[in-house]
Amino acid sequence: MPMEFLDRLPVPNLRLYTTISFAILSCSIYYATQIIKDPAWRTNHTHIDAITRDEINPTDPRSLGMHFKELLECMVDEPVCIWTLINMAYCVLILLGKSIQKLVFGELRVSERQHLKDKFWNFVFYKFIFVFGVLNVQYMDEVVLWWAWFTALGFLSLLSQLCKDRFEYLSFSPTTPGWSHARLLGLLAAILALSSFMLLLCTAAVFFFISFNTFAFMAAECILLGVRTIHVMLRYVIHLYDTRGAGTSAQRSWDKRGPLTYYTDLISELIVLAVDFLHHCHMLLWSNIFLSMASLVICMQLRYLFYEIQRRITKHRNYLAVLNHMEQNYPMASQDELAENSDNCAICWEKMESARKLPCAHLFHNSCLQSWLEQDTSCPTCRLALSMQANHRENTPEIPPEPQTPTRRNGNHFFLFLDGSRYVSWLPSFSVEVSHNRLRGNISTLAHTNSQMDAMARQVQQLFPHYPRNVILEDLRMTRSIEWTIENILDGVLTIPHHVIEEPQAESVPQTQMSMTNIMPSSSVQNSSDPRFDIPFADR
Amino acid sequence: MAGSALRRLMAEYKQLTLNPPEGIIAGPINEENFFEWEALITGPEGTCFEGGIFTAKLIFPPDYPLSPPKMQFTCEMFHPNIYADGRVCISILHAPGDDPMGYESSAERWSPVQSVEKILLSVVSMLAEPNDESGANVDAAKMWREDRSEFERIAQKLVRKTLGIP
Repeated sequence: MPMEFLDRLPVPNLRLYTTISFAILSCSIYYATQIIKDPAWRTNHTHIDAITRDEINPTDPRSLGMHFKELLECMVDEPVCIWTLINMAYCVLILLGKSIQKLVFGELRVSERQHLKDKFWNFVFYKFIFVFGVLNVQYMDEVVLWWAWFTALGFLSLLSQLCKDRFEYLSFSPTTPGWSHARLLGLLAAILALSSFMLLLCTAAVFFFISFNTFAFMAAECILLGVRTIHVMLRYVIHLYDTRGAGTSAQRSWDKRGPLTYYTDLISELIVLAVDFLHHCHMLLWSNIFLSMASLVICMQLRYLFYEIQRRITKHRNYLAVLNHMEQNYPMASQDELAENSDNCAICWEKMESARKLPCAHLFHNSCLQSWLEQDTSCPTCRLALSMQANHRENTPEIPPEPQTPTRRNGNHFFLFLDGSRYVSWLPSFSVEVSHNRLRGNISTLAHTNSQMDAMARQVQQLFPHYPRNVILEDLRMTRSIEWTIENILDGVLTIPHHVIEEPQAESVPQTQMSMTNIMPSSSVQNSSDPRFDIPFADR
Repeated sequence: MAGSALRRLMAEYKQLTLNPPEGIIAGPINEENFFEWEALITGPEGTCFEGGIFTAKLIFPPDYPLSPPKMQFTCEMFHPNIYADGRVCISILHAPGDDPMGYESSAERWSPVQSVEKILLSVVSMLAEPNDESGANVDAAKMWREDRSEFERIAQKLVRKTLGIP
C-alpha cells in the first residue's frame, strides 16, 4: 500500500520544515536582489514593464514599494524563485491549518486523523487524475493554477471533514462546553463563506478567461463542499436545539425532530450524490478520454455513485412505506389511553405526550416506533409480529422461486438496508424459508463460481476448523468475501448448530474429521440430519 | 440520532446509579463520551465464579437503543459463551436480523426495551448457567460438559486473579 509506504518515509517535522522553507525563501530573495541590482537584468527583462521602466528610471532612488515590486517580478520570472515561493505558500498553509487545529479542535483523535489522511490521499489521487487525465493540462502555468485552486479546495474540504467527525464525537457527550460548539460552528461558517466565495470567483472567471466547461468543473466542487458544510451545520443546529434549547420543551420538539433530521440528511445526501454524479459524467463526456486509465477510474466512481443514489432512494421508499403503514394501521393513542398508561416510551425512556398504539396495545412515540419499524417488524415490548403489507405472503409460506438477480437477492426481506448492516425477516419462523428461496434463486448464478466458493470455504475452515463447511459456505454465498465471513464468525453472527458441533466431538476425532470435510466435495454434506442443510444443494 | 441515544444513555446511567441492582456497577468510562461504558460484575453466589469481580467494556452504537451495544470482558475469562478475546455471546446482544440460521428465536434477541441493566443481569445469569449450545469458546464448552471439576478449578483461578490474589 502506498500509504503505509508513505508513513514510513522520513517526513521532516513541521518545525524543521518551516525553518528550511524560511531559509530557502530568504536565500532566493537574496538571489533576486542580487539579480535586480545588475542593470543587465533590466535589459534582459521582458516586455512586461516596457512602459513602467521608463517611469522608474527617472526616479532612481527608488521607493521601497517599487523595489519590492521589481523583486517580485524577478522572482516570478526565475524558475528557482517561483518554486521557493510555492513552497513557502504551502508552508504558510500548513502552519495555518495547524493553528486552526490547535484553536478549534485541540488534539485530534485517532479516527479523525485516519479519516483525514484517507481523505487527503483520496483527494490528491482524484485531482491528479483530473488534472492530467481529464483536462490533460500541458503548460506549467496552468498546472500551477489548478494546483493552487485544488490546494485551497482540499484544505477547506479537509477542515469540513474534520468538523463533521468532531461534531459526531461531541454529540456523544452531554457535557461539552458551549464555546467548543461555538468555535466549531464558527469554523463551519467560515468554510461555507469561503466556499461560496470560491464559487463566486469561478463565476466571475467565466466572464473573462475560462471556458464554460472549466467553470462547471470548478463550480461543482465548490457546490459539493458548500452543501456538505451546510449539512453538517444543519445537523449541528438541530442537535444543539435538541439537547440544549429544547431542555424545557423536549417533548414538544421530539415529534418534529425525527422527520426533520431525516429529511435534512436525505436532501443533502441526494444533492451531494447528484452533483457528484453529474460532475463525473461531465468529466467523462467532455474530456474525450474514453480509452484510458482516467476514464476507468471515473467509471468506477460513477458506478459507486449510482449505487449510492439507488440505495438512498430504496431506503427512502422503505421509510415512506413504514410511515404510510403506521398511519394506516396504528392509530394515535387517545388522551385517556395516555393517561392510563402513564409510562414512558419504552424506546427512548422519555415521557409521551402523544403516541401511536400497536395492535397489542403497547404505546410508543411516533418517531421512535418509526425508526424501529424501519429495521424490524415486531412490537419491541412483546414481540408480536406485525405484518407489514405481507399478509398474502404469510398465508403462503412456500413462495414460488422467482428469477432473482444477485443485486436483489434479498428481495424477500421486506426491509433491506443495502449496506448489509441489518435486514429483517418479519416472522421468526419464516427466516428459514427466506434463506431457502434466496439460495435457490442464487444457485444458478453461482454454479460456475462454486469451485471458487469451495476454495474460499476451505481457507475459512483452516482458521476455524470447528465450523462445519456448509455453514461457512452459506455465509460465503451471502458475503462473497473471506474477510466478511471471518468477521461474522468472530462476531458470533455465524452460530454453529449444536448438533453439528457435537458430532465430531462425540467421536473424539475432531481433527481428522475436519480434514475429511475439507477435501470432501460439498455435496457429500447432504447426509446431514437437519433438512435445513440440504437447502443449498437441493437443486443439484 | 446520537441525540436521542445520548439522552437514553443518560437516563439509564441515572437509573443505575440511583437504584443499582445487586452485584453490578456500570457507568461511562469518561463523562466526555457516554457511548463507552465500563461495568463491574460480581460472580454470582453459589457458582464457580463466586467472589470474582469481573470488568467489562460496553460500546454503544450511535443508533442505540435500536441496535444493541457490544460487550467485552476486559479481564481474563474462561466460559463457554465468552470468546477468547472477552466478547460476550448472548442472544439479547444480537440484533434481530443477525442470525442466518434461525437458530435463536427472535424473542430472545435485542429489542429497544432492553437496557444496560437487563444485559448485565443476563450476563450474570449466563455466568451462573452457561449455555453450552452456542459455543463461543469451544474448549470451555467441552470442558463444562465433560470435565466440570477442571472447569471449576480454572474458574476459581480466574476469580483469584480478578481479586489480585495469585
